Amino acid sequence: MPESIEIQLKKGVLVLCVLALLSRGNSYAYEIASRLSHAVGMGEGTIYPLMRRMQSDGLVATYLEESPSGPPRKYYRLTDAGHQSLAAQLAEWRGFVTAVDGIVGDIEPAASAETDHDS
Amino acid sequence: MTRDEFLRRLQRGLDGMPADAASDILGDYAAHFDAARAEGRSDAEVAEALGDPGRLARELRLEAGIRRWEQVRSPSSAWTAVIAFLGLGAIDILVLLPVLLPAIGVIFGLYVAVLALFVGGGATLIVGPFSGFPGGTAAAVLCGLGLMAAAVALGALLTIVTIGLVNALLWFGRLHYRVIEPAITPERSEP
Repeated sequence: MPESIEIQLKKGVLVLCVLALLSRGNSYAYEIASRLSHAVGMGEGTIYPLMRRMQSDGLVATYLEESPSGPPRKYYRLTDAGHQSLAAQLAEWRGFVTAVDGIVGDIEPAASAETDHDS
Repeated sequence: MTRDEFLRRLQRGLDGMPADAASDILGDYAAHFDAARAEGRSDAEVAEALGDPGRLARELRLEAGIRRWEQVRSPSSAWTAVIAFLGLGAIDILVLLPVLLPAIGVIFGLYVAVLALFVGGGATLIVGPFSGFPGGTAAAVLCGLGLMAAAVALGALLTIVTIGLVNALLWFGRLHYRVIEPAITPERSEP
């Protein structure tokens, strides 16, 4: 079953998004999940296997912090390897966006081209 | 579904996993419900967004099995991962079963044969020189060493093939993730 380019793109940048969110400040999984599920449309439960994987890859580390309500929360922070990975993936992403923009940048959408033709 | 019911079904599904890994996972999802409650969301809404807990548990077990297999290449970690793969219970995995089970049998049989060859070589090496081996003592020693070396080589080859097969199976298993997609995908390259 072919997947839309949007789904493929989202899959590719999930880790980059998590790294970028954490580089702005340490956070707990629920907060990361709700930001990502709004922005990228990721199922909110999928954050946990992803974070566990990133942790075992050494990109993030956890610590406990008191929460205003309820038991202490597990916070995630970037490790040195996480910062390096973010820099590398960001450069790759920017290069990719620039390259694609260079190709598709000046094309008018097909719909407007058709209306031009009709008029 | 309430928070407690979701967690109970998740826990039942994770049964058999190492206890600390299972309690880590349960703690994560319990905290998720608590954080959502603090934002005023209902348990039912959160459970709906998280997906079927039984299915989630099966996928998490395979994922944990794959991670362990990536870290420790041992027969037991391979076995745990393959069992988790079968536990996923997707239709085309069940269709694969009549092919898979004989393949496992053949691999096991080959390992036994390789072991027998090694033991046979050792016996020729030790007993041969004293029991009138045709060609004399030197021939018996060389023949025994040759058989043992052949067994080691075949065993190594068989191990490479087995590791490749297990990797292919687990990759195929990951294609069947529904709940923990898209966070875990087979294409994602390891950093």
